[in-house]
Parts: sequence; C-alpha cells; structure tokens
Amino acid sequence: MKEDQVYKDRRYKIDELRAKNEKMTARERTIKAINFEEPDRVPIDNWMVPEIKKRCLEYWGCESEEELLAFLGVDIRDNFGPSYVGQEFKKFDDGTVADLWGVRRRIVTYGKGTPHEGVFKEVAWSPLEHMTTVEEIDAYKGWPSADWWDYSKMKEECAYWHPEYFVLNKGDRLDRTAQLKPMMYLRGIQQTYVDLAQNPDIVECIRDHIVNYFLEYNPKVFKAAGGEVDMFMMGDDMGGQRGPLLSLEMWRRYFKKAFRKYCEIAHSFGIKVMYHTCGDVYMLIPDFIECGLDCLQSCQPEATNMDIKKLKKEFGKDLSFQGGMSIQQVLPLGSPEDVKKMVKYAADNAREGGGYIFGTAHNIQADTPFENVVALFEAYHEYGVYS
Amino acid sequence: MTTLKDLAAYVEQGKSSEAKTLTQKLLGENISADTIITEGVIAGLNVLGKKFEKFEAFVPELITAGLAAQEALKVLRPKMTQKALHKISGTVVIGTVEGDVHDVGKNIVAMMLQGGGFEVVDLGVDVPPAKFIKEAKYHEADILALSALYSPTRLAMKDTLQALIDEGMRDNIKVMIGGAPIDQDFCDLIGADGYAPDAPAGLALAKTFVK
Repeated sequence: MKEDQVYKDRRYKIDELRAKNEKMTARERTIKAINFEEPDRVPIDNWMVPEIKKRCLEYWGCESEEELLAFLGVDIRDNFGPSYVGQEFKKFDDGTVADLWGVRRRIVTYGKGTPHEGVFKEVAWSPLEHMTTVEEIDAYKGWPSADWWDYSKMKEECAYWHPEYFVLNKGDRLDRTAQLKPMMYLRGIQQTYVDLAQNPDIVECIRDHIVNYFLEYNPKVFKAAGGEVDMFMMGDDMGGQRGPLLSLEMWRRYFKKAFRKYCEIAHSFGIKVMYHTCGDVYMLIPDFIECGLDCLQSCQPEATNMDIKKLKKEFGKDLSFQGGMSIQQVLPLGSPEDVKKMVKYAADNAREGGGYIFGTAHNIQADTPFENVVALFEAYHEYGVYS
Repeated sequence: MTTLKDLAAYVEQGKSSEAKTLTQKLLGENISADTIITEGVIAGLNVLGKKFEKFEAFVPELITAGLAAQEALKVLRPKMTQKALHKISGTVVIGTVEGDVHDVGKNIVAMMLQGGGFEVVDLGVDVPPAKFIKEAKYHEADILALSALYSPTRLAMKDTLQALIDEGMRDNIKVMIGGAPIDQDFCDLIGADGYAPDAPAGLALAKTFVK
C-alpha cells in the first residue's frame, strides 16, 4: 500500500468503519450469511470491469488487486478453476480467436477515445449456426473435453485464501457452468431462440453435449479443490428487463433437470451454489429453490420483480441473495448520494436474518463516475453493520 | 375471410413456410397486398404482441413470429405499389449505436416494425451518428430507432441526437430508443421522443409517432 498522506486520507473512512465494525474473518462472516445467520456486517462481493479496477488501484494507492480487495473489505475471493492445457486456441486471419467451444470471438472496443473506453470479447462466428440435423451437431469436432484441463493446482490456489477469505469457484465468463449461454454462443442467439420454439431435437442435442461436459468437468474441479472451495457459481442469463426470456414451461422442459444436477454435484462435495442470471427471473425462483439453489446473484434492480425487498420478503427464508446494486442507472447516472441511498435500501431490507451479500448486479461498468464507486464501498461499510 | 385469418394464425405461431405458401395463394386469389399485410400479417403480430404483454409468449415466440412475417413480406413486396409501406405507416431507420455490436433485440424490433407495416431500413450494428443522419435523409425517415445493450455504449445515442440537431433535422424526425440499459429516465435525460421496453411496445410506440 502506498503510504503517502493523500492515499491514507482517501482510505480513512473505510479503514475506520472496518476497525469499528468487524469482529470475524471474511470467511466466517460469509458462511454465516449464506446459512441465514447474522454476522457482524453484510459480506461484500466485488464485480468490476478492469478499467474500474485500475482506477480503484490508483485512487486508493493499492499496488495489487489483492491489496485492493483486502482494503475494501471484500470478503469473497474468486477462483477461476483449473488451468487450460488443451490444444492452443486457434487464431484466424480475420483477427478472431477460437474459444473453448470452437466459437470464434473478436475483441470489440467501445467508447473509443472517451474516458469510458473498454473492450469486450464478442462472438464473431458460431460453428453450429447453419447445421440442420442432430447428426451434424453430434459430429461437430469442437465439443470440449474435461481432459483439457490441469486440475493439479486447484487445491493450492483455493487454499491460499483460506482460512481468511470465502472462496468462490466461478470459472471464466466463457467457460462458466451453464446451458443456454454456450448454446447461444455455438448456435447463434437468434437461431437458438428459433430452435427453442421449433426444433426441440436440436435444443436437446446441443444441451446434452454441454451438460455432459459440465457433469464430467465439475466433479473433477470439486474433487481437485479438496474442500477448499466454499461456493460454486454457475451463470446462465434467463431474464430480460421485464420477465424471463423464455416461458417457465420451456425452462422446465429443457433446463431444469441439469440445473438440479449441477446443484446436487456441488452439494455432494459440501459446496454451496450461487447462480448468476441477469434480468427478471421471478417466475423461475420457486423452481430454483426446489432444485437446491443456495444463492441468487444479480437481483438487478431495474428488472421488473427483482427488487431486493420483494425477493427477500418472498423467498428470503429459502434463498440467499447477492447483488441488488444498479449498474445500469444509479451507479453510472446517479449522484454519490443516490448510491448511498441504494446501499442503505438494500441493507435495510435484505440484511435481517442473514442471507444477503452486497454486490453489484453485474460488473461496475467503465462509464461509472469514480466518486460513485467510492460512495458504494464506503456505504457498504456504513450501512452493512448489524447492530 | 378465413384464409386471411389463417395467415394471421401462421404468423402468430411462427410458421414461416406455411405463411409464405398461404401468402402466395392469397395473392393468386387477387387479394391485394395491402389487405394481406393489414388483415393477415399485422393482425397476427398484434395477437402475439398481446400474448407477450400477458406473459403468454416470450422471446422465442416473438422471433419466430417476426421471421414468419418477414417471409410473407418477401412474397408481398414485389406486388406492392412503390413506397407502399412508407405511405401506409411510415419509414423507420433503425440500428445499434456506435461502439455496440449487439443486434438480437434490435433485429426483433425491426421484424416487428416491418410486420407492423413500416418500411424499415436496418443499418446493422456499430452505426456512427453520421451514417444515421445520411440514411435518415435519403429514406425520408419518419422515425429513427436506436438500440444499445451496454450502459457505456448508450451514450452514443446522445451523440446521434446531437448530430440530428446540428443538421437541423431534429424537428422533422421522431427518435425512439431501446435496449437493456434504457429506461424512461434515460430517454428524458438525452431528449429522445420515446422509449420502449420490448419489441411489441416498440411497434405500439412507433404507431403513435405516425398517427
């Protein structure tokens, strides 16, 4: 940490609040919360794009991400899974690069020349898009294998954070445990929706390839972790701003079985399960609970029916929540005062009885004024405390 | 007529090949393209839009219905009088704003607008303000429809609106915006004329602009 007075002054408020409020380790705190007990303060998770992370490091005088997270009082440490040792991802002349699924991606820059410039890896080519039969899809050479990974460092990497921090195995955005998302990457988004409405055989075929891969991969990951992973995160966007992208019947028909299986496997290793989905999935939540889900991540406040107060009231006995902080409206467009109000609202309505972790609905985006990022973390410590 | 009702049902159910065949048959029976659009294609999309509002239909059904409407329109287009849609409903220039390459939502809106009787000029993704201006002028657009998925890229909507003002075109064109990070507050903030949370609402909004 840089010890110049300017940085000390900037860190003062968070340091003071933490010294006053914290009475247990980050891991103890988070375990209590997801087991519906009240810890000393609401645990904190952190999702931010690299551009914001860089500004945080500079502002608070931290010399590494580890230092930054420790200073901010972030309780969860991410584990990105085993190391990829399969064939090198093929690079193409058009600048695209194949990913784990053989989907070609291109780096796209947004906000060029502005203070909020950033990059995303976007799908440029979906290998299954123009296939018309189950046989063609079965014969696709690009289906990944659980043997493409070296699991030997999993335990050591996770244990590094224990016993102080709570370890979340979340994989990478592009290889995270899911069903619909890889289908969309492989088949194209529009064609996937057409398949869902009209081509059940194709949906089931692609889904089975995806699910079988994760059913082989995840037990290897959890076994290799040797008890050092506290929670596992899967992520599959099923919600739009105003409701689920597909009907409850369709979700049950195509995705429920493996959703339950993914939960069961993690539980068989004593690992809790978090699930990320953007948007309004209110209609699906009773089924998530029935399948054994422990923690729902995002709770996107702009989405209809995803208000944290409502979720806590209706499902808070059975399900924990992480998220609720607006990255679409309040953080990029509001004032620091608006940010504080948002944090206080979530704390006041979701803190009671445990079962809530502070977090943003998705990564804090590059268009967020930095004073709002500061307000967010200060407010977490100001309003998260249990009296 | 039963057959026009059948076409509406095919569109609503997303049955593209049936919609195409029946449209050909209806033209063969000397029913005008305008009637087929209004009583077949638009009627079918209207029913689906209502179901979507009531959570009886979702995105897969919207997309397949939009594709079926497009199939019917492909058959009808050569039979329509020149600029028929432009005259019937109006012309919409649509695109995803500069810096953003997401097009699924924008494509659904474009399909709904087309099926709803609008002439639609789709400029694709990552569209700079200057291109929106040029195409809106060329096509004498009534409406400019802008889409964005990320909160950082939505700021390009503001740039596009500014470009319209700079060109002296702002009073002659309605601007509607949409996409995941868009809401009424953002619409008011940048001074667009309207926001729609989903494709059927987008079609309804566009209709209010050209009444």
